[in-house]
Amino acid sequence: MIATIGFYVFAVILLASATMVVTARNPVHSVLFLILAFFNAAALFLIAGAEFLAMILIIVYVGAVAVLFLFVVMMLDVNFAELREGVQRYAPVGLVVGLILLFELGLVLTGWHFAPSAAEIRMSPTPTALSNTAALGNVLYTRYIFLFQLAGLILLVAMIGAIVLTHRERGTARRQRIGRQNARQPEETLAMLNVALGAGIDEIGILRPLPDPAPVGAESHALPHAAEPH
Amino acid sequence: MNWQIALPEIVLALSGMAILLFGVLYRRDASVPCNMLTLGAFLVAAFLVLSTPDGSGYGDLFVVDAFSRFVKILILAGAALALMLSFDYNRHEGIARFEFPVLILFAVVGMMTMVSAANLMTLYLGLELQLISLYVVTAFNRTAIRSSEAALKYFVLGALASGLLLYGISLVYGFAGSTSFAALASALNAPGGASPGLVVGIVFVIAGLVFEVSAVPFHMWTPDVYEGAPTPVTVFIGTAPKVAGMALLLRTLSTPFGHLSLDWRLLIELVSLGSMILGALAAIGQTNFKRLMAYSAIGHMGYTLIGLAAGTEAGLRGALIYLVVYVFMNVGIFAGIIAMRRHGRVFEQISDLAGLARTDPALALAFAVFLFSMAGIPPLAGFFGKLYVFLAAVQAGMWTLAIIGVLTSVVGAYYYIRIVKVMFMDAPAPAIDQRPAMVSFVAAATGLFTVFFVLFSAPIVAAAQAAAQVLFG
Amino acid sequence: MLTAIAVFFPLLGAALAGLLGRPAGDRASQVVSILCMVIASAAGIAAAVLLGIGATEPGTIEITNWISAGTFRVSWALRNDTLSAVMVAMVSTVSMLIHVYSVGYMAHEDRPCWRFFSYISLFSFAMLMLVTADNILQLFFGWEGVGLMSYLLIGYWYYKPAANAAAIKAFVVNRVADLFFTVGIALLFFQFGTLSFSDIFAAVPSHAAHHYELFGASLPVLEVIGVLLFIGAMGKSAQLFLHTWLPDAMEGPTPISALIHAATMVTAGVFLVARMSPLMEYAPIALSVVAVIGGSTSFFAATIACAQDDIKKVIAYSTCSQLGYMFAAAGVGAFDISIFHLITHAFFKSLLFLGAGSVIHAMSGEQDMRRMGGLWNKIPITYSVMWVGFLALAGIPFFSGFYSKDAILDAALGTPGGVAFYAYITGVAAAFLTAFYSWRVLFMTFHGTSRAEPHVQEHVHESPAVMTVPLILLAVGSAIVGYSLDGTFIGLHWQSFWGASIVTLPGSNPFTHMESIHGVVKWIPTLVGLAGLATALLFYILVPWIPGWLATRFRPIHVFLVKKWYFDEIYDAIFVRGALALARLLWKVGDVAVIDGVPNGIATLTTDSSGEVVKLQTGSVAQYAFAMVLGVVILVAVFLLFR
Repeated sequence: MIATIGFYVFAVILLASATMVVTARNPVHSVLFLILAFFNAAALFLIAGAEFLAMILIIVYVGAVAVLFLFVVMMLDVNFAELREGVQRYAPVGLVVGLILLFELGLVLTGWHFAPSAAEIRMSPTPTALSNTAALGNVLYTRYIFLFQLAGLILLVAMIGAIVLTHRERGTARRQRIGRQNARQPEETLAMLNVALGAGIDEIGILRPLPDPAPVGAESHALPHAAEPH
Repeated sequence: MNWQIALPEIVLALSGMAILLFGVLYRRDASVPCNMLTLGAFLVAAFLVLSTPDGSGYGDLFVVDAFSRFVKILILAGAALALMLSFDYNRHEGIARFEFPVLILFAVVGMMTMVSAANLMTLYLGLELQLISLYVVTAFNRTAIRSSEAALKYFVLGALASGLLLYGISLVYGFAGSTSFAALASALNAPGGASPGLVVGIVFVIAGLVFEVSAVPFHMWTPDVYEGAPTPVTVFIGTAPKVAGMALLLRTLSTPFGHLSLDWRLLIELVSLGSMILGALAAIGQTNFKRLMAYSAIGHMGYTLIGLAAGTEAGLRGALIYLVVYVFMNVGIFAGIIAMRRHGRVFEQISDLAGLARTDPALALAFAVFLFSMAGIPPLAGFFGKLYVFLAAVQAGMWTLAIIGVLTSVVGAYYYIRIVKVMFMDAPAPAIDQRPAMVSFVAAATGLFTVFFVLFSAPIVAAAQAAAQVLFG
Repeated sequence: MLTAIAVFFPLLGAALAGLLGRPAGDRASQVVSILCMVIASAAGIAAAVLLGIGATEPGTIEITNWISAGTFRVSWALRNDTLSAVMVAMVSTVSMLIHVYSVGYMAHEDRPCWRFFSYISLFSFAMLMLVTADNILQLFFGWEGVGLMSYLLIGYWYYKPAANAAAIKAFVVNRVADLFFTVGIALLFFQFGTLSFSDIFAAVPSHAAHHYELFGASLPVLEVIGVLLFIGAMGKSAQLFLHTWLPDAMEGPTPISALIHAATMVTAGVFLVARMSPLMEYAPIALSVVAVIGGSTSFFAATIACAQDDIKKVIAYSTCSQLGYMFAAAGVGAFDISIFHLITHAFFKSLLFLGAGSVIHAMSGEQDMRRMGGLWNKIPITYSVMWVGFLALAGIPFFSGFYSKDAILDAALGTPGGVAFYAYITGVAAAFLTAFYSWRVLFMTFHGTSRAEPHVQEHVHESPAVMTVPLILLAVGSAIVGYSLDGTFIGLHWQSFWGASIVTLPGSNPFTHMESIHGVVKWIPTLVGLAGLATALLFYILVPWIPGWLATRFRPIHVFLVKKWYFDEIYDAIFVRGALALARLLWKVGDVAVIDGVPNGIATLTTDSSGEVVKLQTGSVAQYAFAMVLGVVILVAVFLLFR
């Protein structure tokens, strides 16, 4: 009973906020409504007993994707008036097409019947002895290992793509050079000084790092430059 | 569990990662060795494809049969040829980076997975792997605004298509109870036909797949992407993904939805008609060669779909033969387009080719061969491609398709042969640059294939026959 | 084998002369083509003699299969029977002599003449193919081959507009006739299921009762086919209504006129009728048509010949007239006599043409007899051979023409029925006119005072030996061929000579009636011929003012004859102008408006719609996406509605 009430509540909010996502005037509001929609969807998952999916939805979509959206929307300077103009111009056509599509999808409901054998081959519902997460893990890493790996490849490609398309070689970039780090000897970096008791900066001067780049293994610069006296 | 049946894909994916690692760690410019390594990986994969036995595995997600083998070899061949064309072009344009072959390679993995898909989920993941790789390579010339714009359009529309596909898959799953092709086939075999929900689901799936092969009405991205993408990427998009997408369409519609063929045939017929007509009409007005090739590709996909619409074994065979022929002549023409470079600058207008026959007779001859083949002039390969699909259509009683196909071929002949006329009869434009050896090699190889297809078509036809039999088995 | 040699050596000669003529030169091509023709004629005569004395049996020489489509089978084969052998011997011999003569005649040509020799050799091949054909399609191949070579040779001087026009006219008129011929061939196949002569002839009696129902009329099959084939023959043999091309064809070189338009090609029609004799015998109405047309032509052409002033035109109309005789003979069922006259005519008519050529040669190209005269002592050899030729043509006793023409008129008289009598009357009238115009030519050309230009007179000279020797040989032939073949070709034992190659129904051969003609009636043709001679003597030697007086006194008749019965004018008004008008209509309406207009319209439509389609590609992602959604909506709708 409570679950039913909860379902309808969340579902109505979900639909309403989804509508708001596309109709809101302010894109920041749109993103916020999107986040609300995600939360409600997560709640629906919870009611259905899929707590793992509910958490994943929140972590991934709300925690990462929606926040990214938010940043992007806030950073981009979009002329909303212009966009809206276009919407108004195409609204009638779009509305007609949308209504037709809605009508067609409505037909789906009228002829609501499953294929006769659908019930048999439908997978068995949630296993009771296992936790949701464990059950998912069981199939994900065994039965669907192929798809899992494939998804991994997709992510890899996406990563390569992101790097290829955005990464730039800048002359000013400072980067780690592992080889040089490893090959570095203590005496290149460290200067052992005998500091007189009680002497401060004023006495010994400020020690600055070696000027970059320094050829590794060159015999010069065994000692750091002494700071010029101020 | 016979994991070996996916060995070609696994080996290819692993070598992709290895090449990536090598490229990252290699101190000097890694693009040349990575290209070579990728070609090598394709070769190994092709060998493995041929030696993998029939069967299915991974919990009925993946299947290997004569059909998948045929198409995979074709995909590998198309990808390898496209990659060969990219070497010099990328270097000239300053985009010769080692990620390029790696991305191509992962796209090929995606396509091969699609071709072997025995489940809607495999299908979708393979498709996404391929599409994401393609989006990235389309934008590869990231300093060129055209390239970025093309990639963005491709991405947005591709995402929409993926959405449609996923929605369709979910509807199908909801109404039929499974995503496995085999289970779907038996579930849909029941008398009484499909429920409206299933129908809508299937239409959405078809929409998502038809986007792949850029057939009307999901073709809108094609001209912009073809024109904007770096030319080697255009070659690639024009060959392997088309083959994979078409193969996917063939398999999906004939295996799980095969019992509903009377229902979806009309849709494919409409899509085919629209593609042929639009491809023929819109190409006439084009002045940019790459854009023209986009419409040409739309038209060719229309012809290929005739084979599917015929809904017979002969039709599928015709479609497969058409794909083979199409891949080789398409690569050949693009080899010529890549050679279009004057004083180091790329040009793409057809009028720039004026009088090519006098400045570079060999290239003009190659162009003429490919264009005549595209127009379907016997005895070139393109004629036989058309012959087989039209034959199948006539045998299946689809006169409308056959007649419209012939008529649009006539229109097609007009704009193909017009280019030949520009090359052979117009006053010569300044000479083009020396062709890179690799481009000449690819053009010569595909040209020989196109000219002499008539002589050695028998084994290809036999292989296509065997592949088609699998789907109708 | 000999037949094959006779047929294919001319082809070899033509190929060698034609392909190697340019590099090898005129002399070489003349030598090689003449050599081939000599071999061919030797083989041809030998084959005919062997067959005639019974040393070889008639048969066919299969070469290869030509067409094999369903039940339609045609082979290349050479038929070797008496009819073919006689024709082969005649064609190859005359052709060989004319080859030789041409060497002299063409010597004054500025341009290389290897092309000429190649053409006439090729013509000889086509003609030999025609006469040796084993089926009617192969015959048609030869038929069209000679037609083509005739076109090329009439227009040999292609830089002369008149020659071109004449060549086109000859081709077009023949095309009209060939249309009927091809319909006849098609009906033959339709009716008999085969085109092979032997198969057709064997099946003829069983088809005698078949009829075509056409617009309510019931037409006997064999009659229809016979008439259609005869119309084809009329075109080739220049019979009345389809004769107009022959006089114009004299624009070609004179040896061509002798070979093609006198001795060989124009007789193809006669040959065809004789070849089809087994069929024609079952088509009495068709034969009557043949007889009427033949008789009419013989008279009509002779009247025109009397009024022409161009020496070649006179002989051309004479040819027309003599061909009419041959058809008249065939029409009364005397196919053997018809072929006999064909052979004798070949000799004396080619003699006359070549003699005329020699005269023209002597007169530096002048052809108008009004500017000749008094040549008899300047070119004595030509003069004497022309006498022989005209004696033979006019049917003066003991020259060749006497035997054959007499036989024809006897046969016509001897055959019962009005048609045969009509043929007889016209034939006798034509005989008178023939004698008249023959001597008219002789007197105008060789006697009286010279009316030529002084500088032409100075150049008059006898032709070289290479021209006179063939003339003399032909003159000998014209003198003796009739006498020597009379008993063999025709007469009581004709059937033992011709064998199965000419068939007449029992009792229908007029020979049986001919024997009953006695006394003065039998001499009527000869007497009429002598009367014609006397008239000519009176008109042109004794009282030379008569022709002029007659021409003014009976001016309409004279003009009518000079204008050749106005055939050309009438045809020009009806057919040529009509065809031009129709052609213009078809061009303006059919071609420009419809045939060009529709595709151009479609092309414009295509490019226009191309413009519209391209506009759809706006570049806006939103619109692209909208198009996709629209596509989905439409596809779903279609699927839901039509599944």
